[in-house]
Amino acid sequence: MLHNAKDKYITSVKDYVSQFEENSFRKLASNDFNSWPSPREETWRLSRLGVLSRKEITPIIPNSKKKVSSVSKFTGSTIIRFVDGALREDLSSKLPPGSSLDILGEEDSLTCFHKFKDSNLKDHPSTNVSFSCTPSIVKLTIEKNISIGGFFEIIYEGGDENLSVHPALYIELKDNSSITIIERFNHLSSLIMPLQLVELKQNASMNSLKIFNDNQQSYNLSANCTFLSDKSNYNSFSLIKGGLFTRSETHAYLKGENCSLNLNGVYLSSKNQHHDLTTAIYHDVPNCTSKQIVRGVLGGKSTGVFQGKVRVAPDAQKTDGQQMSRAILLSENAIANAKPELEIYADDVICAHGATVGEIDDEQLFYLKSRGILEKKAKQILITAFLNDIINESVEESVQNFVFEEAELALSEIISKEI
Amino acid sequence: MSLLEIKNAKLKLNDKDILKGLSLSVNKGEVHAIMGPNGSGKSTLSYMLAGRGGYDLESGEILLDGQSLLEMEADERARSGLFLAFQYPVELPGVGGMSFLREAVNSRRKFLGKEELDHLAFVKEARKVASKMFVKDEMLKRAVNVGFSGGEKKRFEILQMAMLKPKISILDETDSGLDVDALKIVSDGVNAERNDDNAIVVITHYQRLLDYIVPDFVHILSDGNIIKTGGPELALEVEKNGYAGLINAA
Repeated sequence: MLHNAKDKYITSVKDYVSQFEENSFRKLASNDFNSWPSPREETWRLSRLGVLSRKEITPIIPNSKKKVSSVSKFTGSTIIRFVDGALREDLSSKLPPGSSLDILGEEDSLTCFHKFKDSNLKDHPSTNVSFSCTPSIVKLTIEKNISIGGFFEIIYEGGDENLSVHPALYIELKDNSSITIIERFNHLSSLIMPLQLVELKQNASMNSLKIFNDNQQSYNLSANCTFLSDKSNYNSFSLIKGGLFTRSETHAYLKGENCSLNLNGVYLSSKNQHHDLTTAIYHDVPNCTSKQIVRGVLGGKSTGVFQGKVRVAPDAQKTDGQQMSRAILLSENAIANAKPELEIYADDVICAHGATVGEIDDEQLFYLKSRGILEKKAKQILITAFLNDIINESVEESVQNFVFEEAELALSEIISKEI
Repeated sequence: MSLLEIKNAKLKLNDKDILKGLSLSVNKGEVHAIMGPNGSGKSTLSYMLAGRGGYDLESGEILLDGQSLLEMEADERARSGLFLAFQYPVELPGVGGMSFLREAVNSRRKFLGKEELDHLAFVKEARKVASKMFVKDEMLKRAVNVGFSGGEKKRFEILQMAMLKPKISILDETDSGLDVDALKIVSDGVNAERNDDNAIVVITHYQRLLDYIVPDFVHILSDGNIIKTGGPELALEVEKNGYAGLINAA
């Protein structure tokens, strides 16, 4: 298909890959990038990208000497830094035993690319653009039977106005291994398209915490593809607060029996921000559980979107899939959209979903006020509680305080303007 | 001057007259019981006094210590010394009991020009009061009213009353949902707070509670008005003959 020649970004991506071989993964990826998703496509109807085709953005050429500004928020964490989308080994920590970080060659990159293209993220713009333009695909491997104590802190920063960045990370947890990874997105770029492939082998367990806090003019289109084998466990929590437009899209494929998945998230939106948590969970085999809790607080003219699809294949009996989203609107001009989607082809399953959008509960507010607590303080208490609840449930104890603090900063920004 | 003065209070809900010119004076040191059948306006009266949105008076006046409450929001009324023990205490998921209490107590202290209590001083005070109400430490760590039994919720209400030291307390059907043992604990808690400087208004269906919290005055509320006032013996009469006789006589 010919691409829209008027779209400068698409042209710039094609230009960028012209230096590579015809059958390279970059070229193959770029061949499939001929347009931005149309708002007629169901998954992009509520989060439109049309404006990107009118921007003068080009893919970044990473500066390997660039200084970093984000400091580590933890003592003793293993730090991995990506600057301008490229791994900076010189700024990263020494890895603990049983873990390794590699830059993939052409062949392994191609395999990685095909894994994405075989998933339902195959048409996601980040899939095609970031495989075309990433400086390299970085693979983090945790060896069999290794439990990493402490945690990995992956900091993404860099980029600049009118440039797009393309970090690509492939995480493989071999049998019986476990890890906690905290990812912080602090880019300055106009467009950020992070790719992540996660493979959890038998009985592997990963806690993932993502904080999206890119600068206020940026677009972040994060695409995450996760595969779970037997008895593996993926526990993920995303906090979206930055950017002008941030969409975190996660597709999880439950391929082995008795695995469990939590895809929880919070978005805190103010001004004209647009925040989107999109998930797709594919229960392909029996006896797995998945749970999603999503909460949003919105002020100003912001928009929040939660789209959650759960597909239960005909053979996936005894599936337990739960999904719940709640949003609190603090401003008349804010909008929250929730779109749960259940496709169930098996008959012996428990699946439930619910979505609410509303204001602060009147009765709760009156109860607090009747105890002498000022209205503003009472609202703050209730909103904080609304978030504490899910953070306590989703985030491991040692990092809860960090998440509370990160959330509170954004929350006070919203609250100060609305109540 | 009365501590609480309700003068000719009229209130409509959904265009229906609920309070029809109710008047009541409560002096310091007194306990008043307001009894009445379902739909007589008891809960409306308590919400109106506490300042719940939508329960504004159409006409009339309420004075607390000579000061009008009508222009005050619920929080200001509470800080001024009015306390409502809820018939159905509200669950606050994610709001810890201890921090909730501290916020409330310090709001009141600040209003009274007293120094706010720091965390340690507060916890010490809260534990002291809680143990008297048979409220376990563990309950204070939980989210407010979440997963509490009926008895626990009411005990927690009275614990708040004891900590906030209000001038006037309105107890809205505090006996509902309580077994005899819980009723005793709650009543003992209320009685411990009785003194010459404050007053209590007990709203109830049943005489039973008044065996434990003995009132100075009993008022019968019917159809938005107090139709009869008497001493504790009036409650016994209701217990014996029901409301119907009294209402018909009025």
